[in-house]
Amino acid sequence: MTEVGLSQTRHRIIIRASSGLTTDRGVTDSMIIEQRAIGADVAPLPAARRRSHRWLPVAVLLAPSLLFLGLFTYGPVLRVIGGSLIVGRFAGDHALGFGNYQRLFADPHFARAALNNLIYALGTIVPSLVLALALALALRETNRFTAVLRTLVVMPLLIPLVAAAALFTFIFLPGDGLLDFYLHKLGVPMINWLGDTDLALGAVIAITVWKNTGYYMLFFLAGLAGVPQDLVDAATIDGAGAWRRLRSIVLPLLGPTFGFVVPIALLNAITQVDHVVTMTQGGPSDATNLLLYYIYQQAAQNYDTGLASAATVISVAALLSLSLISFRLIERGVHYES
Amino acid sequence: MTEITRRTALKTSLGGALAVTAAAAMTKTAFAADPVEIDLFFPVPVQGKLADKMKELIDRFNTQHADIKATAVYTGSYDDTSLKTRAAIKAGKPPAAVIMSANFVREYVINGDVDPWDSLIEKDGKTAAVYFDNFWPALKPNAVIDDKVYGIPYQNSTPLMYYSVDAFKDAGLDPDKPPETWADWLDAAKKLTKADGSRWGIMFPGTYDYCGWLTSAFVMQNGGQYYNHDYGGEVYYNAPSSLGALTLLDTLVNKAKVMPPGVSDANACTSAFFAGRLGTMLLSTGSLSFVRDNMKTPYKVAFLPKAVRNAAPIGGASLILPKGNTPERQAAAWTLINWLVSPEIAGEWSRFTGYFSPRKAAYDLPDMQKFMSDHPDAKIALDQLKFAVPWFDTFNTVAVRKAMEDQVQAIFSAKVAPADAVVAAQKAADELLRPYVEQTALKAIG
Repeated sequence: MTEVGLSQTRHRIIIRASSGLTTDRGVTDSMIIEQRAIGADVAPLPAARRRSHRWLPVAVLLAPSLLFLGLFTYGPVLRVIGGSLIVGRFAGDHALGFGNYQRLFADPHFARAALNNLIYALGTIVPSLVLALALALALRETNRFTAVLRTLVVMPLLIPLVAAAALFTFIFLPGDGLLDFYLHKLGVPMINWLGDTDLALGAVIAITVWKNTGYYMLFFLAGLAGVPQDLVDAATIDGAGAWRRLRSIVLPLLGPTFGFVVPIALLNAITQVDHVVTMTQGGPSDATNLLLYYIYQQAAQNYDTGLASAATVISVAALLSLSLISFRLIERGVHYES
Repeated sequence: MTEITRRTALKTSLGGALAVTAAAAMTKTAFAADPVEIDLFFPVPVQGKLADKMKELIDRFNTQHADIKATAVYTGSYDDTSLKTRAAIKAGKPPAAVIMSANFVREYVINGDVDPWDSLIEKDGKTAAVYFDNFWPALKPNAVIDDKVYGIPYQNSTPLMYYSVDAFKDAGLDPDKPPETWADWLDAAKKLTKADGSRWGIMFPGTYDYCGWLTSAFVMQNGGQYYNHDYGGEVYYNAPSSLGALTLLDTLVNKAKVMPPGVSDANACTSAFFAGRLGTMLLSTGSLSFVRDNMKTPYKVAFLPKAVRNAAPIGGASLILPKGNTPERQAAAWTLINWLVSPEIAGEWSRFTGYFSPRKAAYDLPDMQKFMSDHPDAKIALDQLKFAVPWFDTFNTVAVRKAMEDQVQAIFSAKVAPADAVVAAQKAADELLRPYVEQTALKAIG
């Protein structure tokens, strides 16, 4: 469970940034969101008592965090934004302007990476959330059997993505791989999963769904545990069927969980590209190139810092606005239990 | 020539790596008094035992040279090594020498991040041209740039054709007569290929890097140059020799169907070869020992097939001298490099790794001659060196290479016709080369 704990910490920080909650209330608010996400009862925050002569100890206490945030978070953010505005790759011919953005939007590789990333996001988020919810509903009762199954479903979470990708390279191996071996017994001819421009992105998506479903299921399980049984029982007595109970009671009460899981899933779709690096390097013919890998190509392979910075700014801006939108939409529909 | 320096600095994306490298470099150079402390960045593209061997060599060097204390710093893959080298140079703490992928050297020259070895060579009383005669001539274009020696070749490879003796016999082919021309190769492949997909005639890796390497081989076999070997701003993707090469690939995969469609990686090629499901494969000479250890049935190797001429592009790494080192460190690095490429040590490294030795004299030593007679496949790889051609290197090498690779990969999936592919590749490459061309060939005089 340590790894889950660590990931939560990481995600908590990001939620705080993306939801626009500020400084002194930030940590507490995001913790509340998190507790709500797992269905716990949380009292509203007491109004913060602010007295002017207290600012000194506050500043002293915040200083270390602010220093490191400034050095390692806000500083680099500003440098990336600055770097994206410096045009020109050789000494003596650089100027300030939006030339990098013009080049970026004219680059067919960037357009391809953005489109791939959109397909990848939809293709990973929707199936893995549906599957995670279905599995959580099926495995919500705790007994020895479901405990084993839950462990199996969560297992991929414990395998680092790089290792999983290396593993899947062999599973996908045309002809000799595990997948082709069994497909061949069913009479399916050899398929080059990662080497076909039409199939490669699908293969990458499949691995991601396999990897993330268990993680999201954990949150849905926690959320389901917070759905009060008396409400469900009352609905049953009123004659509501299983589908109706799911639609009218369980799903609305899972709102906070969705509010947590959807932004996380969006974030994963942009930030997790280890398998692309390991398996395809964005190929064949850019078929599996994603935004983050495109940024890596520009920065590390082509030493085009301006283009890489511009792509970073655009990707992060898109991610932030998408997260915000999904967060707000879901928050609006949330029904808190009390 | 005006000094062109890319000002990008990788500051933003590499802040962390930079700080770490700087700190590491600092501890190493802090007490440069006596003996001279130098660090050598080295990549290991294959496996871990090479790193151990390198440490052992450096230890031996240090015991033989009391006035120098060298440290070998393992820096990951070729790409990672380049990244770390750039970060260290920008941080003002360059390593004394780096074993750098030979196709990146030109970009270091373009960016003004390396010093030439010439002054050190001249101190030994030799001219650069005489010194470079120690190495195979095909290595020169990737190492001697604008008449200065920037790279000292260290370890090298070329592609090679591997073929299965059993598959040849089964298909009614003579295993002692490997195909010599493209036409022979296609004929043999047709006989080797089984319609039910249980055996293919030809496979070779089509993943990025390998794809560009082999495409350049086909183009040069077809009589072409592929790129301007002397100037980093031109490629000849749209030349007839390139079109002919891509037409061959299209034929192999989509018309004759002797090669599986889509992109195969090296893993897919070797596993099919080991399983007896493949007749001929093109793979690096660097894979000789891997194939030797894993192939259970007899196999042989041969030169790459030719069209109008034989051609096998070089791959591998050279030693470079990053800019910003003191004369003492440069001199110490020069001593280390001369020791590393001495025939004895170069031969030992070659036998251990499977790379061929760039140092011609290494092959005159008894140990090496015994090794070559024990390993006839390594002998053929060496013989092919007389047809060796330089390795693709331009401004923006990786991206410009990829411009062609994307098109070749599309041909493997029957998404584009060769005639359209060469036009698209040329257009994309010209666009990528434009910033450099405008600063050099097209720069207005006066």
